[in-house]
Amino acid sequence: MSKIKPKHQVSWITILLVLILGGVLCFLTQHDALLYKAPVAQVTHVTDQKRISQVDNFHNHDFEQQQILTVRILNGKNRGKVLRVQNTFSASNAMDQPYRKNQQVFLHLQRGSKKQLQGTITDMKRDTVIVFLSWLAISLLLLTMKFSGFMALMSVLLNGVLFFLAIKLDVYLQATNVLTIFSVLAFVFAGLTLFLVLGKTKQMLVTFGATILGTVGSVVITLIVFAVTHEQGLHFETMEYVTQNPETVFLAETILGSLGAVMDESTDIISSLFALHRETPNLTRWQLFRSGREIGKSIMGPLINVLFLIFMADTFGMMVLYLRNGNSWAYSFTMNMSLGMVQSLVSGIGIVLAIPAASWFASSILKRGDRA
Amino acid sequence: MNTISVLILILFILMLLVGGKQGLKSFLSLAINFSVIFMTVVLIGLDFPIIGVTLLNATIILAVTIYLGDDDPVTTETAFYGSMLVMVVIVILIIPVEHWATVQGFGNENTEDLEGLSLLVGIKFLDVSIATTILSSLGAIAEAAMAISAGLGEILTQNPDIAAQQLFKDGMGIGKQIIGTTFNTLFFGFFGGFLGLFIWFERLSYTFGELLNNKIFVSELLMILISFIGVILTIPITTWVMRIKVSRKSRVRK
Repeated sequence: MSKIKPKHQVSWITILLVLILGGVLCFLTQHDALLYKAPVAQVTHVTDQKRISQVDNFHNHDFEQQQILTVRILNGKNRGKVLRVQNTFSASNAMDQPYRKNQQVFLHLQRGSKKQLQGTITDMKRDTVIVFLSWLAISLLLLTMKFSGFMALMSVLLNGVLFFLAIKLDVYLQATNVLTIFSVLAFVFAGLTLFLVLGKTKQMLVTFGATILGTVGSVVITLIVFAVTHEQGLHFETMEYVTQNPETVFLAETILGSLGAVMDESTDIISSLFALHRETPNLTRWQLFRSGREIGKSIMGPLINVLFLIFMADTFGMMVLYLRNGNSWAYSFTMNMSLGMVQSLVSGIGIVLAIPAASWFASSILKRGDRA
Repeated sequence: MNTISVLILILFILMLLVGGKQGLKSFLSLAINFSVIFMTVVLIGLDFPIIGVTLLNATIILAVTIYLGDDDPVTTETAFYGSMLVMVVIVILIIPVEHWATVQGFGNENTEDLEGLSLLVGIKFLDVSIATTILSSLGAIAEAAMAISAGLGEILTQNPDIAAQQLFKDGMGIGKQIIGTTFNTLFFGFFGGFLGLFIWFERLSYTFGELLNNKIFVSELLMILISFIGVILTIPITTWVMRIKVSRKSRVRK
């Protein structure tokens, strides 16, 4: 894939242009209030009031503090008007935050009893930080990886669009078959991504097969374990944001979550085996299978750790809150971390299963007709 | 037996069957990382300094993942130094970005889960979200650093007198091979896990503008972008570490 080679290093002009582009993008998002229907305002002055210390039932020490903010409305028919709004925040900032001068916020406006304009802050405006970080990631990617970086970006964006469309479809169909939609989607994702990376080759088909086999295998094992153990110790009702069919959504989440990693590993094993076969064509089918296993076992640990850390770190906020609310370690774990743990374990099983699957597929295809 | 222990047992047996001794070591690294992660959150709950605990445990996680992931001393040492350097850069980026975005704690979407819980717990949730972001990027950084240093190690054994310029080019070449699949691992890892949240957003027909400023969505997107940046930086930084190691060794030989 990396056939296009740069003739020389990235020139200073390119770097300068990228920096200017970033500055312009951030400046524009900082001034895009006109694009929003909801009223956007900028904090122009802050007056802090006295701190009132608070102690909750669990002897946690915190404080509450009010601030009066002077804000100027930046869009809509009230543009340019200045008003005062109140904000309350605590030391922990779990659901609140202090505001500083020059920050932008969304307001909810209403008319008071004497027809004067009143506002409450609904949320902070966060689009600039997203634009900044996306710009940083994309520039670094393109400057260091060039064409390969561009392809990687495209495949992620394409998957993002597909993901978004599948969710639209799911909601449109009233979520009666979440699992079907996202299983089919997982096939499409895998096929498309591998096609983008490898092209329509034998290698791509083999990788696709191994990915599907690993994923399906892990799901089948999981379903059997769920049935045999009667889902003992699992609390699907603790899933955040899910109101209907938590178990099916959980399975769909797990399939999608592990898909990338399983694909990653199959790609690694199979491309190495194809390269090995090109260099030493007289290896037997069994030798190829064993080299595949050799490659696979050194990458499975780090890969499972990638997903494990993502799934676990995400539960930190709730965990801390539970622990500080006087709950035991075991209870906090069960309520917050156990589902992430199951997700990591199922993904791990998929990743491990992909090793023999990929080695077997690749060695059989490469040695088709030979006797093992 | 409950479901989790059965799944742990199955994963353990599979890792042992497929990986043998290496499988055992990988399973051990998962177990240690789990204890470290759990200890981190417990220590945060006990009011220890959040960033300090996180950085210390992040170092342990990197060391465990890398040193139990491979046997070759050159590969592991290079990968460890490389990933530590990347972690430092990433932390320097994460701290101001999290202060800027203020995506700590919980959003309005969490209201139901928060029922009956006291929110005034005296823990800085901004620091908790910094901890989350650092820890969630570590796995990908360690994995990329190992792939680069293992690949370069292979090249160096075949051709020990390779020129520094060429070594750098080779490092970037390996990076180009892994970047696509690593991005997809991260994309699915993060977004797949948040399917429920996205269905929620769609069902309540959030607009694009609302999504782009929503606390939880932005916090998730920040994590994935930081991980991307971490992986991108790992490629040249690990190559650079390997280059320094090689030049030092050749100087000793002379």
